[in-house]
Amino acid sequence: MEQEYIILLQKILVVLFSVTLFWKIIKHICGLLVIEKEPVTVLVTGAAGQIGYALLPMIARGVMLGPDQPVIIHMLDIEPAAEALNGVKMELIDAAFPLLKDVVATTDVVEACQGVNIAVMVGGFPRKEGMKRKDVMSKNVSIYKAQASALEQHAAPDCKVLVVANPANTNALILKEFAPSIPEKNITCLTRLDHNRALGQISEKLNVHVSDVWNVIIWGNHSSTQYPDINHATVKTTNGEKSVRDAIANDNWLNTEFITTVQQRGATIIKARKLSSALSAASAACDHIRDWVLGTPKGTWVSMGVYSDGSYGIQPGIMYSFPVTCEKGQWSIVNGLKIDELSREKMDATAKELMDEKTLAYSCLIDD
Amino acid sequence: MAKEPVRVLVSGAAGQIGYALVPMIARGVMLGADQPVILHMLDIPPAAEALNGVKMELVDAAFPLLKGVVATTDVVEACTGVNIAVMVGGFPRKEGMERKDVMSKNVSIYKSQASALEQHAAPNCKVLVVANPANTNALILKEFAPSIPAKNITCLTRLDHNRALGQISEKLNVQVSDVKNVIIWGNHSSTQYPDVNHATVKTPSAEKPVCELVKDDAWLNGEFITTVQQRGAAIIKARKLSSALSAASAACDHIRDWVLGTPEGTWVSMGVYSDGSYNAPAGVIYSFPVTCRNGEWTIVQGLVIDEFSRKKLDLTGAELTKEKELAYSCLS
Repeated sequence: MEQEYIILLQKILVVLFSVTLFWKIIKHICGLLVIEKEPVTVLVTGAAGQIGYALLPMIARGVMLGPDQPVIIHMLDIEPAAEALNGVKMELIDAAFPLLKDVVATTDVVEACQGVNIAVMVGGFPRKEGMKRKDVMSKNVSIYKAQASALEQHAAPDCKVLVVANPANTNALILKEFAPSIPEKNITCLTRLDHNRALGQISEKLNVHVSDVWNVIIWGNHSSTQYPDINHATVKTTNGEKSVRDAIANDNWLNTEFITTVQQRGATIIKARKLSSALSAASAACDHIRDWVLGTPKGTWVSMGVYSDGSYGIQPGIMYSFPVTCEKGQWSIVNGLKIDELSREKMDATAKELMDEKTLAYSCLIDD
Repeated sequence: MAKEPVRVLVSGAAGQIGYALVPMIARGVMLGADQPVILHMLDIPPAAEALNGVKMELVDAAFPLLKGVVATTDVVEACTGVNIAVMVGGFPRKEGMERKDVMSKNVSIYKSQASALEQHAAPNCKVLVVANPANTNALILKEFAPSIPAKNITCLTRLDHNRALGQISEKLNVQVSDVKNVIIWGNHSSTQYPDVNHATVKTPSAEKPVCELVKDDAWLNGEFITTVQQRGAAIIKARKLSSALSAASAACDHIRDWVLGTPEGTWVSMGVYSDGSYNAPAGVIYSFPVTCRNGEWTIVQGLVIDEFSRKKLDLTGAELTKEKELAYSCLS
């Protein structure tokens, strides 16, 4: 009897040992099979400038597309900036970024656009002292017309475009008009900076963490007519989730100072730094692309400048900032939100400005 | 459950390196994607408005990990409760200034900041000195903050280390993440010695020594070394500004590896208080190959040093000893 028990025990031990060894081998093999994702090619125009300098390390560290997504960066700028651009390329190499699989630094728009999956258009003609609106518009219209062409012909299919350079909405519109084979839903402009600024202002007013505020909206033009709307925004407080309007309990502030603070924040930063807001603009560009590509968190929307389809009574045919959710690489406008009278006025005012800009832009094209 | 926030001080935060560094810290590049942070930003009164502008931008960026921002010109407020201190602020060399003048200005700054850190920082605060002359500024800081353990005071040579990795990866046309174990010995200056004798490259078959793959000792002992040594100047020439992006990134790498540990089989370069290893002068801050574990660095011992390397290690050690003497003469 004892003999049988001993044999049984030995058998059990052998089985246990074999199973454990087998398990370890399987785990080891699985570890070796870590398959790296194919790199995504990201274009940054105006890459030798301030926003580029802040944006490029963010992209190379995975802030834009995730910490497991290798990237190839294409940097484009104009001839006079070629040496500085090469300096930035040297620095990207010097930083030994694990995710950065290659860097192309060029002044040739065709080379820059080749095979690009994501295009962040930071380059544009900045307004100089004494320049009239029409002059700035005219310069930028030419730039975006040329770049539209190159993108359309050389970028990868389904390339996603984010226009940052001002006038962002109208530059994006021109790009869309002159790249007809790029789906219009793939061309957007940046209002995420204003969206994030609005979140920041609310969080400061309520002394909560900024990640506890969500669902503000930026309507319209990325300009001083933008309408930062908190009517549908929520805040997580110690007493549970509340509407921002209720939590702040100060409609006067919300309808006046809050709005103007967000609208004029860019100028405030310039006054303090003597330079414009590169850090926060670059960060917002990463947020815009990341949420677009990887999806917005459940129950949350973000603001993006997109081609208007007539939602909320906004005329189609302009780039207008709406509240959107993103899923599987596509954005959808959040519909059905109630719009009060004050909001209606503001939304229409910024739409009107965009129609005027469109008219001005087209007149520049005719003059060409 | 969210972790307790870590307080990170950046001095000279209104400058270029600060502007590149603070968003990296706020995004978790320095301490990990799940580690909330509170930023303390310090600069001098003439930069107060610009510093506030940076604070505004940090608020405007709505960073989920950033639990607070303190922007101040008061060194005591800046140092209070900090767990990590990145000293980017210093007196830059201006045209016409002599070495002794730059040294003198910086010695005063680091002496007073040492005091404040010692008295107000959290226990076991880890310090990284970036501002040049980095090694000697770090030494002064150590000397005047005796209650901060010497092992907690380091200076940045990770930038040079990363630059060396980059040069090798370009030469061999491989991914930079496949190159490892270069060493930067000595001073973060033009006497630094970028040493690839123990560096390896991951190839499809196995890890191979860099020397074997490059097959060009003349390049490795000549152009490679001078390229890495003079890279800072090359960047300034191209950009007309110094290398903020790569310096900030290297500072994040330095702290991250120190706190979270170096990967198995890999070492990094850090400027640390010399214990005389490899016959480097003791009592200076000297860059060595180190591994990091449980928040502590350890010098990699037992590496064979050939004759060529020996001379270079000694040269940079001699420069550090002279800098130390110069610094002390400024103090008297």
